[in-house]
Amino acid sequence: MASGDRETALTPAGTSHVPVVIAGGGPVGLSVAALLAHHGVSCLVLEADASWCEGSRAICLSRRSQEILGWVGADRPLTAKGLSWVGGRSYFRDTEVLHFEMPSEPAERFAPMVNIQQYYVEQYAHAAALRAGGVDMRWSTKLSAVRAHTSGVDVEFQSVDGHSHCVHTDWLVACDGGRSTVREQLGLQLEGTQYEGRYVIVDIEQNTRREVERLAWFDPPSNPGSTILMHRQPDNVWRIDYQVADHEDPMEAVKPENVLPRVQAHLDMIGESAPWKPLWISIYNAKCLTLPSYRHGRVLFAGDAAHLVPIFGVRGLNSGLDDAGNLAWKLALVLKGHASDTLLDSYSSERVLAARENIAYGAKSTEFMAPPHHGFALMREAALRLALVAPGVRSLINPRQTSPVEYVNSVLNQTEHGTAFAGGARPGMPAPEARLHTLQGLRHLTALFGTNFVALYFSRNQNLPRYIEQATASRSGPAALHVVRVADRGAADAGTVVDELGQAWRRYDAVQGTLYLIRPDGYVMGRWRESASAPDIDGLLKEALKERT
Amino acid sequence: MNTDEIEFIYTALAECIARVGKAKTSLLLATLALDLLSQQSNADAALERILQAERLANI
Repeated sequence: MASGDRETALTPAGTSHVPVVIAGGGPVGLSVAALLAHHGVSCLVLEADASWCEGSRAICLSRRSQEILGWVGADRPLTAKGLSWVGGRSYFRDTEVLHFEMPSEPAERFAPMVNIQQYYVEQYAHAAALRAGGVDMRWSTKLSAVRAHTSGVDVEFQSVDGHSHCVHTDWLVACDGGRSTVREQLGLQLEGTQYEGRYVIVDIEQNTRREVERLAWFDPPSNPGSTILMHRQPDNVWRIDYQVADHEDPMEAVKPENVLPRVQAHLDMIGESAPWKPLWISIYNAKCLTLPSYRHGRVLFAGDAAHLVPIFGVRGLNSGLDDAGNLAWKLALVLKGHASDTLLDSYSSERVLAARENIAYGAKSTEFMAPPHHGFALMREAALRLALVAPGVRSLINPRQTSPVEYVNSVLNQTEHGTAFAGGARPGMPAPEARLHTLQGLRHLTALFGTNFVALYFSRNQNLPRYIEQATASRSGPAALHVVRVADRGAADAGTVVDELGQAWRRYDAVQGTLYLIRPDGYVMGRWRESASAPDIDGLLKEALKERT
Repeated sequence: MNTDEIEFIYTALAECIARVGKAKTSLLLATLALDLLSQQSNADAALERILQAERLANI
């Protein structure tokens, strides 16, 4: 067991009550635990393994994931340890056919992507959860049975000493991975497609000075006919993924005597000559699978327990962390009596929609990276050759990296009335970033999100209109509304930030009196271009959350 | 053609090749190529495309 854990006594045969049980202490489960703890909700986390995961597993964390891990309280060690990057290169044989860069700007809060071993993410999220308090973390604890009732869930598990326990919980959050026991206990099936093409995943330790970027080779001279991906990780580790030929036996493919010569040939080809040793070998085939719903009564699914997406485009853990960010505030509001449990239906509909979009992009990437039939294999051969002379087709090689999903038609999105916006972020889209002067100096706007509802009021006048003051005065606790005035000049104060660079006013398409209502997970819930609209914010929040009054 | 459209026709042609099967793939692609080449502005432009494709096929 990792140090610092706190256990509450459970009698071997007794039944205890906890508000939330989280099945699975991986990065998603630990993030849900920490986020709930920040909202003042206690939980019991059950993890079958003895500690953080073995092997690097999911290594690319998006900007959005870094923001969510900021709410968790794990972003500082993450960005200090991780290797940030903005783009990548793809080669056909030994000629570069694509150089892509993700959106990035100077002094940004987080890089578009950071590489780090998953066990570090788990370690940092675990530490944050323990710091927040109220998290009972049980390692080496195997969930054995789940009995769901209308009023809660009975969860049976076996602790490290071999004793059986039963707890009754109001809500069970299943974050127990691709082979979820909770899913099996409820008799639920993932739906979708599995691809045949396999990739071997190898971590090696080797010193390098190479720039941190995503590297891909198609049909490289080192391994003719294969596709190879390389990513740098902290601690002088390379992640190398390569495609296995269709006729190769997967069991044979992961044997060191078959893996190491291929790695050596490729390191020789790219001129990485320092001594190296293998750390971890695994094998992978692409899956596009999801549950049709992530809420089943009082059981909620998140991460790989809910959906499995191809690794190409790094949408697996990144979408799992978005599940955590979407679910935690909603579950906290329900548990604290500030929202009806129907709010959790929006968790399911929004995140199932996101999974379907991630699956669509992941399937496209897989069709290129591991062609599922003769048609895609032949077209890839053609596209790679044509990319040498025709820049217009190079986008076909782009790995389609993860980006936040718009929650189109979410029940939480507020209909827009009045003067139309020509730009900015619609309800259901992530709120844009901006650098602003605050009392603490230059800060990023997204750092305001992650806890409460936020009202961004764009105004040159110091006084807030009465309708905003009324809304803040009538809300408190976890459902409180935090109002921030975004001025375009002047001095910052406790309730005012100053947009000297003009980024916020431009990116939100704001005029004097524009109001944006932002959800605790940083998504735009509603917006009103001119103050003449004077929406009843408290009323619409009550309606959207089906608040108990 | 924008990137979404290129991706769409790439997938459409890949699926079409799979539907006709390996035995008829060459015939399918030759028919398609002749159709597109006949829409070039003149024979020189079409021949340039043919020779480029030959060079790329022999890489």
